[in-house]
Amino acid sequence: MTDAIYPQVRIVSTRFLKPETAEQLLNRLIQVGGIRRMSINGPNLPATVPYGPARGQPNPHPDRKVIRVGDQDVQLQVQVGTIILELEDDSYIPGIEEAVDEVFADKGFSCTVQQGRYMKTKPTVSDYARYGPDADEKILGLVDPGKKGGPTIIQGTR
Amino acid sequence: MKVKGNMAYKPQYGPGTSKVAENRRKQMNPNQKLKKMRDVTDEDVVLILGHRAPGAAYPTAHPPLAEQQEPDCPIRKIVTPTEGAKAGDRVRYIQFTDSMFFAPCHPYQRTYTECYRFRGIDPGTLSGRQIVECRERDLEKYSKELINTELLDPARTGIRGATVHGHSLRLAENGMMFDMLQRSVLGEDGVVRYIKNQIGEPLDRAVDIGKPMDEEWLKANTTIFHSLGDSAYRDDKEYIEYVQRIHTLRTKYGFLPKE
Repeated sequence: MTDAIYPQVRIVSTRFLKPETAEQLLNRLIQVGGIRRMSINGPNLPATVPYGPARGQPNPHPDRKVIRVGDQDVQLQVQVGTIILELEDDSYIPGIEEAVDEVFADKGFSCTVQQGRYMKTKPTVSDYARYGPDADEKILGLVDPGKKGGPTIIQGTR
Repeated sequence: MKVKGNMAYKPQYGPGTSKVAENRRKQMNPNQKLKKMRDVTDEDVVLILGHRAPGAAYPTAHPPLAEQQEPDCPIRKIVTPTEGAKAGDRVRYIQFTDSMFFAPCHPYQRTYTECYRFRGIDPGTLSGRQIVECRERDLEKYSKELINTELLDPARTGIRGATVHGHSLRLAENGMMFDMLQRSVLGEDGVVRYIKNQIGEPLDRAVDIGKPMDEEWLKANTTIFHSLGDSAYRDDKEYIEYVQRIHTLRTKYGFLPKE
């Protein structure tokens, strides 16, 4: 959960990103700093075929890759379409916009930075019913807290 | 299949004055030959479909019609069986997903087109995918036509038997429609190849289905109205008028009006 005092931005590109572009963008965003939490959204890329006659067979997908963000390896499980950020304060937003413009300058498609509220601030009754009283509040509302493997922590300079 | 010359009326296929409406009529009209865009072989089609191994005999659901006793039925005397029905083939399918970003065809359009052009088919239309079922031998013939002609664009159309998700999503960076199973891959040389069959099983060899069409061609040949990118539905007054007329008539009919 988050306190409502922290500003949030959403980065939406008009095309789905290749892992290389996502890696480049995320590393550039980290340089801006001031990011408390980050969530990468997009359609799922399952490791096995989820349904149909070939259900359960391995699903090799070239975009389901490990990328290097800061000092951490991140296993991509989605095709990156949207990045949600929670910032420490408003002063970082121009820097984020600049970073996005810089990365997408030569890509041939656009990307917008929106401000708003994209993360939950309070657990809902459904969350309680689904995940129980001990669900990890840090990731509730961003990903399924029941999923194995917690968040990736990228150390800042402070 | 040809429209009979001695029909009492001339079929119009659809309303509309826009380019999109014109493209729709062109695809539906069986007298109009569809433009051939690529050359996918019979074997390639069999590989993509994944129903039988190339070169294998067609498994059958019943003995050939010539070998079995047919009941005395007037309809059977009128209707000539298709090749597949004659041989007693199984019923198999092909399913397409068409991106909303100016794919050359879309589910309803596919069903209309197929019903006008092919015989012995059972199409199923859904919002994001369209499936057509028929006898295996006929299916391969029809599939080849659906793949080789202007009804398919290698990037914006997917041949997907299962996990079809992607028609309403943003395109990938390279212009391909999102596919969870990545059945088709855009190569370095700009050619799209199927590396899995339609249900997602890896193929022994990649099947080349040609280069994606450019944005200009897609916009000129699409059958999808798109207010943000190209011709908007509301700009086609005739289309709107026709749809509203049908809507009004249907609604009124629900109240069983007395003339």
